[in-house]
Amino acid sequence: MGSRRALVVLLLLVVSLAPLALPPFFLQLLTEIAIVGLFATAFNLLMGFGGMVSFGHAAYFALGAYAPALLVRDAGVPMLLALPAAPMVAAAGALVFGFFIVRLTHTYFAMLSLAFAQIVFTVIFKWKSLTGGDDGLLDVWPPAYLKSPIAYYYFTLAMVGLSLLALHAIVDSPFGYMLKAARENPRRARSIGINVRRHQLLAFGISGAFSGLAGGLFAFYNGSVFPDFAYFTKSFEPLVVALLGGVQSFLGPLAGAFAFKVLEWLISRQWPVYWPLFLGATVVAVVVLLPQGFVGLFGRRVWMRYPSRS
Amino acid sequence: MDFITNVFPWITNGPLITVQVMSGLSVAMLLFLVSVGMSLIFGVIRIVNLAHGSFYMVGAYLMVTIVEALPDRPWAFWVALLVAPLGVAVLGGIIEMGLLRLIYRRDPLMQLILTFGLILVIGTLVLLAWGPDNKSVSRPDALAGSVAIFGQPFPAYYLLVLGLAPLVAVALWLIFYRTRWGMLIRAATVDREMLGALGVNVAALYTQVFVFGSWLAGLGGALAAPTVAVALGMDGDVLTTAFVVVVIGGLGSFAGTFISALLVGLLQSFGILIFPAISIVLLFALMAVVLVVRPWGLLGRPEE
Repeated sequence: MGSRRALVVLLLLVVSLAPLALPPFFLQLLTEIAIVGLFATAFNLLMGFGGMVSFGHAAYFALGAYAPALLVRDAGVPMLLALPAAPMVAAAGALVFGFFIVRLTHTYFAMLSLAFAQIVFTVIFKWKSLTGGDDGLLDVWPPAYLKSPIAYYYFTLAMVGLSLLALHAIVDSPFGYMLKAARENPRRARSIGINVRRHQLLAFGISGAFSGLAGGLFAFYNGSVFPDFAYFTKSFEPLVVALLGGVQSFLGPLAGAFAFKVLEWLISRQWPVYWPLFLGATVVAVVVLLPQGFVGLFGRRVWMRYPSRS
Repeated sequence: MDFITNVFPWITNGPLITVQVMSGLSVAMLLFLVSVGMSLIFGVIRIVNLAHGSFYMVGAYLMVTIVEALPDRPWAFWVALLVAPLGVAVLGGIIEMGLLRLIYRRDPLMQLILTFGLILVIGTLVLLAWGPDNKSVSRPDALAGSVAIFGQPFPAYYLLVLGLAPLVAVALWLIFYRTRWGMLIRAATVDREMLGALGVNVAALYTQVFVFGSWLAGLGGALAAPTVAVALGMDGDVLTTAFVVVVIGGLGSFAGTFISALLVGLLQSFGILIFPAISIVLLFALMAVVLVVRPWGLLGRPEE
């Protein structure tokens, strides 16, 4: 525990002093890493701790991006007041969809979450009068005092840092332990009086809320939002990031986000066409070459039982 | 009644409805070819093959290349229709033997993630091989024009689709229910461990099924190529629709896939008339309802 605390302190020192040494471009890269890291950590609350793999988290990222963008653009709300709409709208969406999704398990859970995300994508894509459809929403910039890369970097850092603290407290709380119990053995958890479905739904809502905040932060970083944010390829981003960094640990997805974004930058700078090829090949290689697969990550018993029934 | 005819002026237009039904059925038949392969692979191997849409796309692109390679030959189209799906079947075989076989004992989610990785790999390779521009395949001369159905023009090529796909469906039914190989496949969907214990080479069966499913996806892509723009995004589009078809019908169910393809094809065809803006939402809403009420689909089996 001591070494882990030292690691966190070191990480905090590095990221807060980074602007002294790095040019704006790298600050933007770090900003993106922080946002993707938050998205993947929120996703991993479900996958790593709850044993629920969502294939539709892009929906909550997109809801969180569009909600404050619309408020700022069309209703003239200041950004700092509009941003809280990101987690709120995303959480509302996650709770409504999650109500149905947590009724299912495993493959069917993943598929229904994907179906809802496609609905969100299609609505955004088709509802041109509100969302601009394919053209997206442009000119979604933060106010002048946050517009410089360094200011927005610190702002993102603060928001992501606070969110990670909150998520860590949730994972470490009795609620977090009940979630893990429900993952390890749902039947036994039920028999000692845990309402498994309600805990899973709540986790889904929390995960959606923080995914939405990541979406909102990205909207103002990017200056525009597009329907792609809800497309199914976006849903795999937190999955790949969490997979790269390690699903079993709380900070794994953050490390994964760092690796993911740095690789993306290195490769797409040289050969932009090859980036998806590289990403896909990496995913395939991780899956094939990781001899333990998810077994060590999810808790042996549950996942040993699963393949044998099929 | 006046209200209905005001909102939907086409409702009394019999010929238009007929043509709309026929084009809906054509879409349904193409969807069936793609979906039944996906459903078959899931039924036997228990993998939701997310790269299935990519196989379909490769089938369409191979069609483009083969037809272009044989200019001014009226039979080029038919040769391509035969060869392109075989090319996709070979691709499927390579993927099954080189990658999927290594991870059958793992968590099913790992298999899903692997096939997702394949979407990215195949998509980029297609981009590198064929370039970013949309391609098109011209219809064979005999089917290039349109025919009149009750005075309404209807593309003649769709008649080929309407004729060929049911033939494939009947052939599939005969294979599944009247051959030993089909019996093994059906046995594998019920209990593959028992099948292995009875001395059947299940590993070889998996390869055969995956190759066959890939061939069906390639056939769907090859047959659809003259009706659409052959473009890079078609893998994702067809994947999501085929996915809806398979889920509604019941993963691994042959008859369910057929019925659900008809439902989805007609829903798309009429959804465009009734709710032009949200016809695709209807599709996913239908799927969500089915998943909530009967998670295993119309004719599938429950999970445990």
